[in-house]
Formats: sequence, structure tokens, C-alpha cells
Amino acid sequence: MMDELELLKRDWQKREDSHPKLTYDEIYRMIWKRSSSIVKWILIISILEFALPHLLYLIPGTSKSLEVYDKLGIKSVATVFFALGYLVIFYFIYQFYIRYKEISSFDNSKVLMEKILRTRKTVMHYVIFSLSMLLATCIMVIVAIYFSNNLYEIFDLSEGVKNVAPGKLKNSLMLSMAILSVLLVAVMAGIYFLLYGLLLRKLNRNYSELKRLEV
Amino acid sequence: MEHQFVTELQNNQNIVHKVCTLYTNDRDSHNDLFQEITIQLWKAYPKFRNESKFSTWTYRVALNTAITLYRKSKRTIKTQDFDSVIFKISSEDYDPTEEQQLRLMYNAVKQLGDIDKALVFLYLENKNYSEIGETLGISEVNARVKMNRIKTKLKTILNP
Repeated sequence: MMDELELLKRDWQKREDSHPKLTYDEIYRMIWKRSSSIVKWILIISILEFALPHLLYLIPGTSKSLEVYDKLGIKSVATVFFALGYLVIFYFIYQFYIRYKEISSFDNSKVLMEKILRTRKTVMHYVIFSLSMLLATCIMVIVAIYFSNNLYEIFDLSEGVKNVAPGKLKNSLMLSMAILSVLLVAVMAGIYFLLYGLLLRKLNRNYSELKRLEV
Repeated sequence: MEHQFVTELQNNQNIVHKVCTLYTNDRDSHNDLFQEITIQLWKAYPKFRNESKFSTWTYRVALNTAITLYRKSKRTIKTQDFDSVIFKISSEDYDPTEEQQLRLMYNAVKQLGDIDKALVFLYLENKNYSEIGETLGISEVNARVKMNRIKTKLKTILNP
């Protein structure tokens, strides 16, 4: 085997001249092309993750739902809750920026992979935080429904519903709200893990191989 | 700065071509990976500042791109095209048994995983184990151990 690898080495070095030769212009054109590296993808996905929930507020229906907090009597609690949420989100953006800047293709392979994984972990923590926020908001609304007495008015319910007994209405509203929120969180978490699972499959495999060597 | 970079890369482009040959199977993917490595090199160039040789730096960035950063733009199933890219043996040193042996060896190397390929590549490039370890982020001893395992692995691929 040793000899065969030596043979291969000799041949490999003999082939020095058999490789394509790109001209100055060809290389020059390349440096202005856009990168499609996984780091770039992590950045794009992360920006979407930070921006998407906030773009939802631009949809007319959503801003109306903010009035619901007011009518349910939880406006001040919700405001404090969201304000704190934004503080944490800015912290995440800062963290992400620092970690993203740290990634350098000149590090050795293991360190490079570790830095990418750390950056991704920041995004993962952000997503877990966002989903918990979403869940907490839903729980807050459910609790408010439980203590509320004029559900017909708050939710703008149609005439037909007014015949339903108030207790029954309250229960079914709370139940559907709970099911909806769990479903929403589950679907979003599913999409997220699938996305990153696919994106980082190769990296995770290679990283664990390098890591295994050090044990 | 662009001029300096492009000239340097043009002089060192063989390193990048060799990495592409090892990690891709057809000409399109080869060019695609070459382009991504060039972009990564260019992006990192302002930080380069001649702390090491341009070639040393190219080895690292090229391998890192192939192993970690690069995402295939399209799936490729073909594995045969590789021969036409690398096999251009000139007639004067043509030896059928040796050629056959080399062909088998190249194909065996192509079947290795990303990390194993990187080790073999650096080995073929005459790098010592301390350099190989430094590039990949493992110790010199572990680089040696890993290389021995790869030799065994190659043996199994060649003599199943």
C-alpha cells in the first residue's frame, strides 16, 4: 500500500502542468460573483427569522388583533412583555453579529466548523426564544379569555354564535386557541429544524469526524 | 489590491484546481467550486496581509471551502467524468500496468470522505504531518494515526 501511495504521489506531482489555466480576466470576473457558501445561507435565513415576525404587523388584520389585548384588559402586561422581548431580540442580533464576524476561512478546519456551529447555535437560541414568546403570548390570551366576561364584543362574533351558552363559548375559544398555538409552534419548529438539518448535514458529519480523532 | 490578488491567485491556481479535481466529479462542479474558493479567498484577502505565504493561505481557504463552506449548486451523480479531467498521460511514459494501478488508486481516493480526502491531498502535496494537523485543526500524532487508517481504508477499497 505504502508503495502505491508513493506511486500516486509521484504521479500527482508529475501532473502539475495538466490542470486548466485560467486567464487573468477569468479570475478577475470571478471575484465579483456572489458567494453561495453555507455561512451566507445562515445569514440570509437568520435575517429572515429576525424580520418575518415583524413584517406580520404590516398586514392590516394583525394590527387589529392588537386591539384585542386592549379589550381583554392585558394591554399593559402585553406591552411590558413585548418590550422585554425586544431587548432580548437586540441582544441576540448583537451576539449573532459578533459570532458571524468571527468566522474566517483562514482558521483551521476544526475551528472554522466550531465557529459556524456557534453562530448557528445563537440563531437556534433565538428561535427557541421566539417560539416560547409566541407560546407565552397565546397562554396570556387564553388566561385573559378565562377571566373575561364580554367575549362577544371583544372578538366581534357573528349573530349566530350569540345563542351559544357563555361557558361553552369560553371553553371552545380557549381550546381552539390552545390547539392553534401548539400547532403553530410545532410547524415553525419543524420547518426550522428541517432547514438547518439539511443545510448543515455535511458540516456536522465532517465536524464529528474531526472531533472523534481528538478523543 | 484587485490586481495584486488576481495575479497572485493566477500564479497559485494549480492548488485550487487540484482541490476541485479531488472534490468534484465533472467540469461544471469543478468550475463552480473553483469560483466559490476564489470568492472566499478574495473576501479574506484584506485580512491576509502577508503573514504567511500566499500558497499556504490558499491551501487552507481552498480546503475549508471544499469541506465546510461550499454547498453544491446542483446534484451530480456522474462519477466517470473524473478520468477525462485528470487522466492525460503523455505517450512517452505510458505503462499499461502502472496506468491501471494509478486509475484504481485515484478512484479509491475519490471514494473517501471529505476529511480523509483532505489528508490525502495534503500528503500528496508533500506536506508533513505537523502542517497537515495544523491545517485541519488536529494534532500531529492524530494526523499520523488518521493517515494510517486511511491507508488501510484504501487497501480495503482496492482489494475488497
